[in-house]
Amino acid sequence: MSNNHNPVIKTLNLTKVYDTGFRGEQVSALKNLNLEVYPSEIFGYLGPNGSGKTTTIKLLLGLIFPTSGSIEIMGTKDIYSAYVKKNIGYLPEGSYYPDFLKGEEILRFYGQLYGLTGKELGKRIDEVLELVGMTHARRRLLKGYSKGMRQRIGLAQALISDPQILILDEPTTGLDPIARKEIRDILSHLRDKGKTLLISSHELLEVEMISNRVGILYEGILRVAGTLDELLTSKDRIIEFANAKNGVVQEIENKGGEVVDQVKDRVYLKVKNDEELYKVIELCKNLGLQLIKITPRRETLEELFVNVIDLAKKERSL
Amino acid sequence: MQNLLDTVKGPWFIAVYTWREGLRRKTLVGFLVLSLLVIFGATFMTSFINQATVGDVTTDMDLKLIKDICVTTISIFGILITIFISASVVPTEIENRVIYTVLSKPVRRFQYLFGKFLGVQLIIIMNLCLMGGLFFIALYIKQQILPTLLLWSVFLTYFEFLIVSALTFAIACASSSSVLPTIAGLFIYITGSLTEYLKDVYNRSGQSGEWFDTLIGYIAYILWNILPNLQRFSLKTQIINSQPNDPPTDVLIPQLVIYGLIYAVCGYILAYWIFRKREV
Ligand SMILES: Nc1ncnc2c1ncn2[C@@H]1O[C@H](COP(=O)(O)OP(=O)(O)O)[C@@H](O)[C@H]1O
Ligand SMILES: [Mg+2]
Repeated sequence: MSNNHNPVIKTLNLTKVYDTGFRGEQVSALKNLNLEVYPSEIFGYLGPNGSGKTTTIKLLLGLIFPTSGSIEIMGTKDIYSAYVKKNIGYLPEGSYYPDFLKGEEILRFYGQLYGLTGKELGKRIDEVLELVGMTHARRRLLKGYSKGMRQRIGLAQALISDPQILILDEPTTGLDPIARKEIRDILSHLRDKGKTLLISSHELLEVEMISNRVGILYEGILRVAGTLDELLTSKDRIIEFANAKNGVVQEIENKGGEVVDQVKDRVYLKVKNDEELYKVIELCKNLGLQLIKITPRRETLEELFVNVIDLAKKERSL
Repeated sequence: MQNLLDTVKGPWFIAVYTWREGLRRKTLVGFLVLSLLVIFGATFMTSFINQATVGDVTTDMDLKLIKDICVTTISIFGILITIFISASVVPTEIENRVIYTVLSKPVRRFQYLFGKFLGVQLIIIMNLCLMGGLFFIALYIKQQILPTLLLWSVFLTYFEFLIVSALTFAIACASSSSVLPTIAGLFIYITGSLTEYLKDVYNRSGQSGEWFDTLIGYIAYILWNILPNLQRFSLKTQIINSQPNDPPTDVLIPQLVIYGLIYAVCGYILAYWIFRKREV
């Protein structure tokens, strides 16, 4: 959708090798990553635990340094500059905030680091607290906050300078379903206001609900990336038949049909292309089944994810 | 000018934050309360006891003892607090990951470190003011003379602490826990207080003509030159033996201040050099 814009975040063959232990053991956490995130989109950065998501994010923020490759943010390679830092809001994974401060004091501290002061800062604090729905708890110590409230304050902290880019590392992990939904709503709202969001997650369903584009990372390699429409196209169709008697499923399967479900007298078959479709209809007609409907079926992100990772595992074992 | 102001503003906010956070630490507050209790006990309680038993003005001997106790308390508890806080501010922040959110703001690493270092100094100065202040008041009440010598002593003690603090801080910037830098800080303080002996070793070496004797002499000489000589900052004997309002004699205060600052700057540069490329 936004391929005609220049990417806001772009990495070129970004590679990170961690040195661990005393024997010079190395962990190759990220391999030749070429990632592009475009303006005003939510990019879902997916991968199982240990696949290198946090590593990528820390590299983008200059908390760790690349082994090779380069990073460009908002058109500049100087990612440590105040210009870039002012335009990035960052929510670390499972982060800790100083317990001894009140909600608004934390925001004041972080706002000051952006050079905000006085009335301007006060106004920003009011705005972000309102945005994340924490105005009621602003004068309470963080010590008494629930996990969801902490995450909201974390989000508010990331938003305090009104940045163009938001980088969120697993923003909803560990939250209850209602808190998740609320955070998700805030994130879509921000996207609608024109912000660019990079969200790492292993919660596929959630990402599918709000992302424009996704990338799947596995063992430090970006396996696929694209819009959900591009990635989740599938010619699969489900055909529903009525009038199924006992033993008919066995008969269909013997003749090469793929039954995905059976409810009472209904059977559901999956076909991959037109040729299969006509064959299955012919077969079922001969078995005395009644055709009810044919529906196209889009692959879920979860299926894509599993397929991508299975493929990667197969490739590795070759 | 505006640029300069912007460069120090960030560190200042970090310093204030570090200071506030430091005051939350139980170890620090514990040390501080203990030291104040000791000073309070030594000065005020003894006078009650004296009045109760002897019913006389405090004798010279008692006063010397009280001064000795108080000066020693200030330097021991002071240095413990100094080492503890210098060794822990950076490792703690890495451990609890607050550093991620701070370094991702428009704050350069040297600004971050400078803020942390400044915050540590605020804590050390506050401690010295509280401990020295209590002792000052106690002495004044007892002797009815303003103990200005004590002020000089506290002033110089700060520069002694500054040296230990800067070197400990540098080591802490390379560590992921505060245990190692705390031990290193104690080591620096202890050897720094014994450097006079290194000079003795050097003076006595080379007499036997053996090569290792000469070598030990050289090592002692080099260490004597490199290590800070913390003894120079102590006015303890003067405080104990002189009148409270005597000026400090035999010490070159400006030289000592510069001496302390040079070590502090070296320590800070070392800290930055270590921290510059550190992965957090
Ligand atoms: N500081 C580190 N030192 C050594 N290895 C690390 C370090 N941080 C992460 N790793 C390793 O790098 C890989 C990727 O980790 P990470 O980026 O945290 O994954 P994710 O965020 O996707 O769960 C893992 O194998 C992890 O063990
Ligand atoms: Mg992670």
